Amino acid sequence: MNRALKTVLTLSLFSASALQAQSDTPILSGALAFLGSTNGGANSYQPILAPVLVAPFGDHWLVESRADVQGFIARQDGTSGPYSGQFAASLDYLQLDYIANSHLTVTVGRFLTPFNIYNERMSAVWISNLEDGPIIFTIGTRTSASSNGFMVRGDLVARPEWSVNYTAYFSAATTTENLQSGRAAGGRMGVFFPQAGLEVGASYQRFLQNGDYNVSGAYVVWEPPPVPLDVRAEYAHSPGGHGYWLEGAYHLASSRGTSTWLSRLQAVARVQQFIKGSNPNPEDLLPSVNVNQFDIGLNYYLPHDVRLNGSYGRQYSSAGNANIWNFAITYRFLFPAWPGENK
Amino acid sequence: MKRIFVALGLIFALACALRLFAVPQAAPAGQQAPKPTAKKKVSAQEGERKFQENCGRCHNPPDSLSPREVKAVLQHMRVRAMLSQEDEQLILKYLAP
Repeated sequence: MNRALKTVLTLSLFSASALQAQSDTPILSGALAFLGSTNGGANSYQPILAPVLVAPFGDHWLVESRADVQGFIARQDGTSGPYSGQFAASLDYLQLDYIANSHLTVTVGRFLTPFNIYNERMSAVWISNLEDGPIIFTIGTRTSASSNGFMVRGDLVARPEWSVNYTAYFSAATTTENLQSGRAAGGRMGVFFPQAGLEVGASYQRFLQNGDYNVSGAYVVWEPPPVPLDVRAEYAHSPGGHGYWLEGAYHLASSRGTSTWLSRLQAVARVQQFIKGSNPNPEDLLPSVNVNQFDIGLNYYLPHDVRLNGSYGRQYSSAGNANIWNFAITYRFLFPAWPGENK
Repeated sequence: MKRIFVALGLIFALACALRLFAVPQAAPAGQQAPKPTAKKKVSAQEGERKFQENCGRCHNPPDSLSPREVKAVLQHMRVRAMLSQEDEQLILKYLAP
């Protein structure tokens, strides 16, 4: 399989370079972040660099990539002992897209597994409103949250009042370090009502290794147009357990031109619950007990794409309750991959 | 593995076929075009609305974007947010007027 993966990635890059004659300026984007956390008295720090490369080739071809280089610095015994650090790098996606039209985009290579919405839309460190991902995040994204294979996506129907979007994919199992993926097939379908700012959808995945099993999920995104409020929720079910999260964010800087200090403030709250299943598997990376948690946070958007996050959470479980304090500073960068004139 | 590549080839062929047989959209007959300045303003407003509907569901607009950066950003978002070509053009007018 590793050979097949390399073939797909090589073909992606070869196809891209073959089309370079009609190239446009690629961009380097991403974020530099520093995260700090105190979870049940255990401190940890995470410096993160997440570079994104986007290279368009004409109007229909695109190569996109995001890597993740991060450190984890914590005390050796959790709450005592000297600090030690580990650094790791992974490739979140490296994909070649063919944008046929609004109904169909074909993707090959390594891509973020499109299960529900958190992984694709909210997991980037410069986007997520709260530093910690939801407890149910690994349901449907098991192994690495990325897939190696192919994907098709687009709008089935697009009308001014509503549209239906879809995604379908197949991923092969890969054990190569930093490029892991599970063997799985699945899809997602959503209905979007732009005037109401409402999207509802559902996901399904068949995990095809270590005993086949089904995973399913549903999501809601609601952003009432006159109010700078974002409400998002997900539900996911697997043999290892099921649960939900519901997040609300009140954001006064949702449009350009706002510059008062108050308008750059965002208040966030999230509740979540996980209930362990009848057939837990340690590889699912899910809690071994039932967990309830709430988080509240404040984010401040400074000029020049710098953001400060701070949050407090309380986790309740039979393994012990814990307070979770998080803070983060994130700088989002974006510039052309090579110098040139701005025309 | 062979079946995967065959499936991939079929999807690629389908994509090409859809593109080949796509009918270009013509302007509505008999409709008078607005003055260029008014049209530009309306497009920018429409572009902001499209941005909020699609891109704004996940993130704020970047502080600034140079004309060289806009196309790559929009193509990236076209895949991520499943934007139509028409929406892409409207958002382009909003981000890089």
